[in-house]
Amino acid sequence: MRDWISRSLPFPHVVMTPARLCVLLALACLALSGYSLATQLPAAQWAQALFVPDERNIDQVLTHYSWLPRWTISLLAGGALGIAGVLMQQVLRNPLAAPTTLGVATGAQLALLLATLFAPGLLVLGREWVAVAGGGLAMGLVFALAWRRGLAPMVVVLAGLVVNLYLGAVSTTLILFHQEELRGLMVWGAGSLSQNSWDGVLYLLPRLLIALALAALMLRPLAILELDDVNARSLGVSLRHLRLLSLGLAVFITACVVSVVGIIGFIGLAAPAIVRLLGARTLPQRLLWAPLLGALLLTTTDQLLQHVSGALPTMIPTGATTAALGAPLLLWLIPRLKLGGDRPQTAPMLAAPRRRHPMRLQLALGLALLVALAASLLLGQDGQGWALPSWSVWQATHEWRLPRTLAAAGAGTLLALAGTLIQRVTGNPMASPEVVGISGGTAIGLIGVVMFVPGVGLPMLLIAGTLSALATLGVLLLINRRSGFQPERVLLTGIAITALFDPLRSIVLANGDPRTQQLLAWMSGSTYYVDTVLAVAVAASAVILTLAMQSLSRWLDLLPMGNSSARALGVNVDRARLALLGVVALLTAAATLVVGPLSFVGLLAPHMARLLGASRARAHLLAAALLGALLMVLADWLGRQWLFPQEIPAGLMSSLLGGAYFMWTLRRL
Amino acid sequence: MTPLSMRGDTLRFHLLALALLVLLAGPYTASAADTPRIATVDWTIAETLLALGVTPVGVAQTDAYREWVGAPPLPDEVADIGLRAQPNRELLAQLSPDRILISPMFSTLQPSLERIAPTSTVALYTPGSDLWTRLEKATREIAAFVNREERADTLLASLDAHLAELRDGLSDATKARPLLVVQFMDARHVRVFGDHSLYNAVMQRLGLENAWQRETNYWGFSMVGLEALAGLDDARLVVVDPMPVGVEERLETSALWQHLPSMRRDDVLTLPPVWSFGGAPSARRFADNLTQALHEAPRTAAHREAPDA
Repeated sequence: MRDWISRSLPFPHVVMTPARLCVLLALACLALSGYSLATQLPAAQWAQALFVPDERNIDQVLTHYSWLPRWTISLLAGGALGIAGVLMQQVLRNPLAAPTTLGVATGAQLALLLATLFAPGLLVLGREWVAVAGGGLAMGLVFALAWRRGLAPMVVVLAGLVVNLYLGAVSTTLILFHQEELRGLMVWGAGSLSQNSWDGVLYLLPRLLIALALAALMLRPLAILELDDVNARSLGVSLRHLRLLSLGLAVFITACVVSVVGIIGFIGLAAPAIVRLLGARTLPQRLLWAPLLGALLLTTTDQLLQHVSGALPTMIPTGATTAALGAPLLLWLIPRLKLGGDRPQTAPMLAAPRRRHPMRLQLALGLALLVALAASLLLGQDGQGWALPSWSVWQATHEWRLPRTLAAAGAGTLLALAGTLIQRVTGNPMASPEVVGISGGTAIGLIGVVMFVPGVGLPMLLIAGTLSALATLGVLLLINRRSGFQPERVLLTGIAITALFDPLRSIVLANGDPRTQQLLAWMSGSTYYVDTVLAVAVAASAVILTLAMQSLSRWLDLLPMGNSSARALGVNVDRARLALLGVVALLTAAATLVVGPLSFVGLLAPHMARLLGASRARAHLLAAALLGALLMVLADWLGRQWLFPQEIPAGLMSSLLGGAYFMWTLRRL
Repeated sequence: MTPLSMRGDTLRFHLLALALLVLLAGPYTASAADTPRIATVDWTIAETLLALGVTPVGVAQTDAYREWVGAPPLPDEVADIGLRAQPNRELLAQLSPDRILISPMFSTLQPSLERIAPTSTVALYTPGSDLWTRLEKATREIAAFVNREERADTLLASLDAHLAELRDGLSDATKARPLLVVQFMDARHVRVFGDHSLYNAVMQRLGLENAWQRETNYWGFSMVGLEALAGLDDARLVVVDPMPVGVEERLETSALWQHLPSMRRDDVLTLPPVWSFGGAPSARRFADNLTQALHEAPRTAAHREAPDA
């Protein structure tokens, strides 16, 4: 691993270590900072500006109250996120665990949104506390969901992901309906480091020192977590309390950072991952180097950004940029990253007892789908309230209701199929179409078109979306070719691509361009823009593909058994994976073009199908397809009626409905 | 033949009488009969329609209009047609307006709205043209759709005259000070309105200089951190409300804000809210608010010129 990095640098014979990387970055950072400070203020005045600024010299005032606090806070925030990342990755034994994956950041954001709208008085008392409370509650929810399973790493990450999606959906709904009130929070959400006093530093510093001291005290017990559950338990450690304590600490650190500078993407994930790759194996080593690297990464990025963005009319917040810069780095790292095999796997696949008669389940689901379709087509409100189904109402409304209902059903089915495939191929209940990044990739292309080509029409959007979906698929295949499409790597690539989409979205939102309303609506998964031709095409292909997919059931039954078993039973594992991934990509792209990238159904439907007892591939696929359609149709209909005449997009609605159900079942597992 | 032609003549007479009657009645009934029923998703178009004396049948997000645009007030009978980006088509179809007006940023809606009623685009914010020219043109376009061309001419002429009057009322000393018009997003970030914004266009009409000369976005503002305002020494800050909750309290402890030149001279002006992306009515209100604040300000600020200035 280390060789790879060393070889790609200009000094191939020097082995790269965390220390050397930090020194290199520190030099770059110092040079940049020195240059930036020199353009701001003559060097002779630096000392004065630092200690006793001349209040009438605006340059000194700027240096003292803006430049220096910003520089300091970027170091502090980067370091803090590094510590939080190390703690989480250690506790969850997952190289992808990060402060943002536990729902802390979204929880804090949602709390601030809610306070802004419904209890502005709280903000006067202190934004920090609102954010900390929100982040803490979100984490509490994650822990509550994973409690029965003794906070097993896999379950915690899964719960974190679901809570993240759920709270994100609630936030997006609020933003959609209260765009003007919440515009300030968009800036915060994108992570701007801009400071105008030392308050932020004075808030963050003592809290970080306390957190660091606590982390140091917990070094020894934490190191035991390297072992698997059984071994650790035999050493007399209460795993549950230890995990709770260390995760709680990581969350506290994250919430402090988030409340001061907003959501800073990627640092908490990247810094620990990079130092690990560079050979920092033991926990003390990682706890030393990860914060340093995190601090330097964030500060260097911020310095570079201040040079670049000075002349632009759009603000480019640092938090979103680190995420955007980090994604390619992550993509580059993935083929070189050692995953699995390192430490013992603990979490088994989530499963429920197998059902004897899957036919009955399918029939019940089919019936429910028919009822939902009828309700969606016939029942609705008009200006005077609920209108009873009648021929005249049907004539007036079928033009609008039919395409949307069909599209919802079709897209739901496609996503459910894609989700089933990917969950079975990877044997990973966290997997879903949006995780492989196709949705994110498609969305990037569409945002680009909407932002840079004014007044673009639907056909152009469709073409752009298809092209970017294909491009994303290309990247996915290119990066994973060498590893033989190993499931974890594919997921990782997907997360990295999605990580590229989030910052773009944040930047667009932060700049408050009024066009964001349309983007937001589309990104939340609305069937609004679908016309009849498209709707029929989607619905028809959903039916055909559901039937065609049955022929893949042998692969889908065998692949989860593991590579060697599948190979022994005569499956060309690589080719089967490639084929299935291609199918997943196409399914996702088609669905994304119709209902946007928020495809919670792709995660949910296969899961529910499994929990309802459909375990063989054939039954699983069919049940998931029916559930997907049912969920989407219900979501679309409810979304149209709930806040009539305002509409909640189907994607958001399905997240709100499905997410609640999903969390409930997760708790019972 | 004769009886027939006689009959023709009577018919002609009757028709003529009817036409006369309509012409005579015209001034009294035209406003009800000739005014098409308009629905619009755009608040600026809604605002302009109301200023032209036309009440639209449906406007998107009426509650938010009342909160953010405010004046001219939206009558209660105007139907809420849902989100601006996704107006409720079932409801629109039921309202069956004669015409739907949208702005270019909602152009993706056109094909489907076209199936309900003829849909036209009125462009106010388009890059590369003078905003005031566009504003006048857009106002006339909207007026043409509702047969209120003369009313539009009156509205624009009176706006011009009003602005000229306000401009003449401002002292040369006031005009010499460049202004920096900002709206707070949070305690650390502001929108600064520059070239191609409504505020800037109004300031030009008032003979006032805008201190913000940097490039702006499609909507005529730049999103910047507070520190970007520090370099503009002699500019006078104009803060347009509403302030987000808690910002005022945080600015009290914000050292940078307290040390901004305009803040230290104590000549920061605060204006009541005006829709920043509005049309003629918003322009008029902004001009009134700004000149009023400028008239009230110098008395407190004149003798407090910065010691080093």
